[in-house]
Amino acid sequence: MIALLLALLLALPWVLPPFYQTLFVFYAIAALVVLGLHLLTGLAGLTSFGQAAFMGVAGYTSALLALRAGASPWVGLLAGLAATFLFALVLGLLTVRLKGHYLPLATIAWQVALYIVMGSWVALTGGRTGLSDLPAVAVFGLELRDPRLYHYLAWGLLVLYALVLYRLVHSRHGRMIRALRGDAVAAASFGARPPELKLWTFVIAALGAGIAGWLYVHFVRFVNPSPFSLEASIFYLIMAVVGGVGALPGAFLGAGLLTGLEQWLKDLVPLVLGKSGNYEIIAYGLILVGILHLAPRGLWPWIEARLPRRTPPLPEGEGLPPRAEPLPEGPLLVVEGLTKSFGGLLAVNGLSFEVHRGEILGLIGPNGAGKSTTFNLLAGVLRPDAGRVVFRGREITGRYPFETVRLGLVRTFQHPHLFPEMTVLENAMLGTYPRTRAPMLSSMLGLDRVEERRAAAEAYRALVRVGLAEKAFLKAGALSLGEQRKLEVARALAADPVLLLLDEPAAGLRAGEKRALAGLIRRLREEGITVLLVDHDMELVMHLVDRLVVMHYGEKIAEGPPEAVQRDPVVLEAYLGGAA
Amino acid sequence: MRKGLVWLGALVLSVALAQAEVRIGVTLSATGPAASLGIPEKNTLLLIEAGKLDRMPKGAKVRFFILDDGTDPTAAVKNTQKLIQENRVHLIIGGTTSPNSLAMIDAVAEAGVPFISLAAAKAIVSPVDEKRYWVFKTPQTDELMSQAVVQDMVARGIKTVAYLGFNTAYGEGWAREFEKAAKAAGLRVVASERYSPKDTSVTGQVLKILSRRPDAVLIGAAGTPAVLPQRTLVEKGYKGQIYQTHGVANPAFLKVGGRFVEGTLLPAGPILVAAQLPDAFPSKRVALTYIAAYEAEHGVGSYSTFGGHAYDAWLIAKGAIERALEKASPDDLAAFRKALRDAIEETRGVVGTHGVFNLSPTDHLGLKFEDAAVIVRVKDGKWVLERSFR
Amino acid sequence: MDPLIFGFLLSDGLISGALYALVALALVLVFAVTRVILIPMGEWVVFAPLTQAVLLEGRLPATVWLSALLLLVWAALDLRRGRTPLLLALAAALVVAAGYLGLAVPALAPLVAILVVLPLGPATFRLFFEPLPGATVLVYLILAVGLHFVYKGLGLAFFGPEQFGLPALLAGEVAVLGLPVPWQGIMLVLAAGLLMASLYLFFTRSLFGKALRAAAVNRIGARLSGISVREAGRVAFLLATGIGALAGVLVAPLSNASYEMGFLLGLKGFVAAIVAGLSSYPLAVAGGVLVGLLESFSSFFASAYKEAIVFALLLPVLAWRSVSSLELEEEE
Repeated sequence: MIALLLALLLALPWVLPPFYQTLFVFYAIAALVVLGLHLLTGLAGLTSFGQAAFMGVAGYTSALLALRAGASPWVGLLAGLAATFLFALVLGLLTVRLKGHYLPLATIAWQVALYIVMGSWVALTGGRTGLSDLPAVAVFGLELRDPRLYHYLAWGLLVLYALVLYRLVHSRHGRMIRALRGDAVAAASFGARPPELKLWTFVIAALGAGIAGWLYVHFVRFVNPSPFSLEASIFYLIMAVVGGVGALPGAFLGAGLLTGLEQWLKDLVPLVLGKSGNYEIIAYGLILVGILHLAPRGLWPWIEARLPRRTPPLPEGEGLPPRAEPLPEGPLLVVEGLTKSFGGLLAVNGLSFEVHRGEILGLIGPNGAGKSTTFNLLAGVLRPDAGRVVFRGREITGRYPFETVRLGLVRTFQHPHLFPEMTVLENAMLGTYPRTRAPMLSSMLGLDRVEERRAAAEAYRALVRVGLAEKAFLKAGALSLGEQRKLEVARALAADPVLLLLDEPAAGLRAGEKRALAGLIRRLREEGITVLLVDHDMELVMHLVDRLVVMHYGEKIAEGPPEAVQRDPVVLEAYLGGAA
Repeated sequence: MRKGLVWLGALVLSVALAQAEVRIGVTLSATGPAASLGIPEKNTLLLIEAGKLDRMPKGAKVRFFILDDGTDPTAAVKNTQKLIQENRVHLIIGGTTSPNSLAMIDAVAEAGVPFISLAAAKAIVSPVDEKRYWVFKTPQTDELMSQAVVQDMVARGIKTVAYLGFNTAYGEGWAREFEKAAKAAGLRVVASERYSPKDTSVTGQVLKILSRRPDAVLIGAAGTPAVLPQRTLVEKGYKGQIYQTHGVANPAFLKVGGRFVEGTLLPAGPILVAAQLPDAFPSKRVALTYIAAYEAEHGVGSYSTFGGHAYDAWLIAKGAIERALEKASPDDLAAFRKALRDAIEETRGVVGTHGVFNLSPTDHLGLKFEDAAVIVRVKDGKWVLERSFR
Repeated sequence: MDPLIFGFLLSDGLISGALYALVALALVLVFAVTRVILIPMGEWVVFAPLTQAVLLEGRLPATVWLSALLLLVWAALDLRRGRTPLLLALAAALVVAAGYLGLAVPALAPLVAILVVLPLGPATFRLFFEPLPGATVLVYLILAVGLHFVYKGLGLAFFGPEQFGLPALLAGEVAVLGLPVPWQGIMLVLAAGLLMASLYLFFTRSLFGKALRAAAVNRIGARLSGISVREAGRVAFLLATGIGALAGVLVAPLSNASYEMGFLLGLKGFVAAIVAGLSSYPLAVAGGVLVGLLESFSSFFASAYKEAIVFALLLPVLAWRSVSSLELEEEE
């Protein structure tokens, strides 16, 4: 299929009528920017109104070097990309940490600022009037002036960029980027570092726009700020959303459709509404609105839903290498004097207990006892005010989740923090993130194939262990609540846990599902995993755990095997509030 | 009887065939920031197309393809490519703004299609190098108009000037040329401020200018957005002479400006005050004919100098087409385009609305300063000829 | 800088700021209830004074027919819903009648203009946003951009590319601390202050206001509580359009109005609205005033880079607001 498309691309310049050859080059330029938006906005969830500004950075750099220093456009390309990289790094550091709506507005801010500077710094950039007589790109002495030749340059770069992006999206980084957008807390719990990931996403998207800017400038051989304005950025965003911002083919679809639409409307509207008016923009807006009403998630998802679905092959082969470091003697987890208050409220007060290797420990207590807070303190989501936590002989007090997960301390969530748009297998594969090593560059160059296969096999095995294997390629959003819980456990298993922290795993489950869950937990214990679970369901807990720790008002009031705790008068008083 | 009919039929057929089709492609800014320039240009060409303004060239039927570029250079280039490749035009007219025209140069040069630009910048046609070989223009350059303003200022004894112009290519071009001309003539430019046509207030810029106490202020703007700075200046008590540019030479400016623009001086193509020109002025008659036809369609006082540029382009093109038809046939695209280009360059003594065009291989504009610019004053809400340079 | 200049710049900045604040209030109102970033608001802000200008020229503005048409299409869509289509058809007739009234009585032109533009908001909501109840903020945004194109194109078609001048509602100036300030400007500032206070009280004290807020935060919960989310949206759009139209009519005598001024106004109002976290009315006004002041002073010091300065100076403000914002991260 892909081969067919590539062959078509190669043949196209000789088949298309001349004007369409030109349009096709502009199509490629737009697609480069829109692909970047697919990554940035569609996957990472960062809406950017500033991609055209990056086009301008690269374009002007190349143009100025060519005109002022007589440099070849190829030097201009390298310099332009370097400049784009620098700008993106600096602006990205400022922008990606912003929450919610502040981020898009920040992109508008520097987009407008850069545009004004491009236009007003006349001495440097030639201002609004622009710079003409730019050189053409030359390959071995052959100047690429003809759109047919430029087609190969533009589409060649576009296909390369698309490939790199595709590799990135289908790698451990891509999964994490998608996870970040939906649920940063869950993503962080598996080892992601959100600010870093977002920054690199930002930079990669900017580089795509930079290539587009360079291509534009040496195709038209004239540069002024107009193509790099806020209006232009908005057009690229429109292309992305119309095509389907979450899907890579969507970028191609959106860019092509809207590039063509502009032209067709110029022909069509005067025919229908007469020559003396200027109504194309109205038609354009109405069509845009119409498309979004038909397909709110974009055209590609709409089309894809109507195509026959192929089932990918099942992952097989070796999983990831298991944990090498042996466990030290002694208790697996030691909690000493853990304390946390929120303002005036003392949630956890001097809590101390141990978890022994291979046991199932239950943490229970009435509502408001401080169980969730304790859980979050252990998981690294909260920092304790006082006390220590020692895991596998190492102090982990106050460490971030992404550090502790590498040691084998893995948690699940009370409300399933799954990513409904990703498949069950992809969700499970997220668990392998801390166990895989491939850096982003490797992923983009496709050098991580072996590790990816092994991670997929590992995740699949985890699905088999929890009994979700047949649903591996369904979207996670389609699972029932009980199945979602199992998926959470599978994801945790994929991380090769030493200690599994389960947060209210039975909440909302029916009786049959609870039994299945209990069975699963016992099987895990037999496989050597230690479990700490927090829950309200007494029946489940009493029949499952080896030992209990009971909390009340932030303090431990009892500890011991279930039968002993059940009869403990202090515990009874705490739960029932009086003499039994 | 039958023989006569056959002969008649053959005659008609041969006449019809003899009417070769010459295609003129047009890309102009009918929407976007330069719409107040592009719309009169478009209206003028539509009038010509409908036969209400001038006759077709002898021996050819002209077909127009008119596209809007929304004041965007990329769109202008796409339109140009489309006109050249899809519509297979022999000549391109348009490129309302300087950036648009500059962007189009490469495309027309590559394809070997003559292009008559309707924009102001001198760089469009100068120097006449390999690429600008194909490019001509009809509007006076910013340089020419700046000369007119500076000469008038000097004649009035003005020593210091402030400039407040658009932050667009138009305002930028005027800033550059005016400040150059002013400096050469010994005038001191004490402030150079910018504003956007969409701004709702220019108080800051005006206050800065007032604090420098210039003898005169030049506002580098086009259309009705030129009123706001002038009004603010007047309201804040400025008493010196205010100049505008030829970009305001349309009736809406007078209407919206009202009493605030009374007494304004501006350089303009002579067409603006055609009826007041001395008869010796070469372009008077053509200008009046144009105005009459335009007003008949769009109402009294509706004409603008920018529409005149489009008409001038047509007049040059018409003459060139007639000459080119002697050398090549429009059916041979490449040959006719080249012949047309040569013929345009050979244009001598074509009287347009803005002056007399005498082109040459080194001068692709062909206008003489004295014929192409006058100074106009706004008096009682009307354009009044103040002085000419003849 | 001498105190007189400072005073002028301050008053200019406050007046512009009041304008941006009003637009920001409208945008925040709409977003808070419907999660739509209403880009076409800019067009409606200028449509009102443009409609007024055409009335004063003695012609019936095309906006009258546009409003009536949209109302009738709405009526057709809701044909089976009880008396609604009848009421809408009545409203359409009222709009046309108002148009003719405005022609006959020029003194009423500003009011008529606002009335004529008013239906555009709720009708736009009903026709274009209501049918997509669960879409993401990004999709709503692009939808809004599409509608912006439509309204801008209509603006050019109805009113042409040139600006229109308008007579002041209250002519002349008054001395404030020795500085001449136009009455029109004072009206803008007062309007902004009053509306801010009213919106704040409405949304925090009145039951209907709280219901509107609930509808935005949790659609299903609101519906379960008996709040009609659709109605909430329409009311929000109606109020917002009213605010925008009023702002347009108040500022136009000072600055003239043209079809293309809308987008930039909307953008600056949007900036102020974001500073407000798209949720707080007092902050929306503060944001508007901040943008207005920044703009006014940078016009004096470096007019060529004015917009760049305003936007660049916003970045630290955004950073500060982002850090101090208590909102949870959005799912988009």
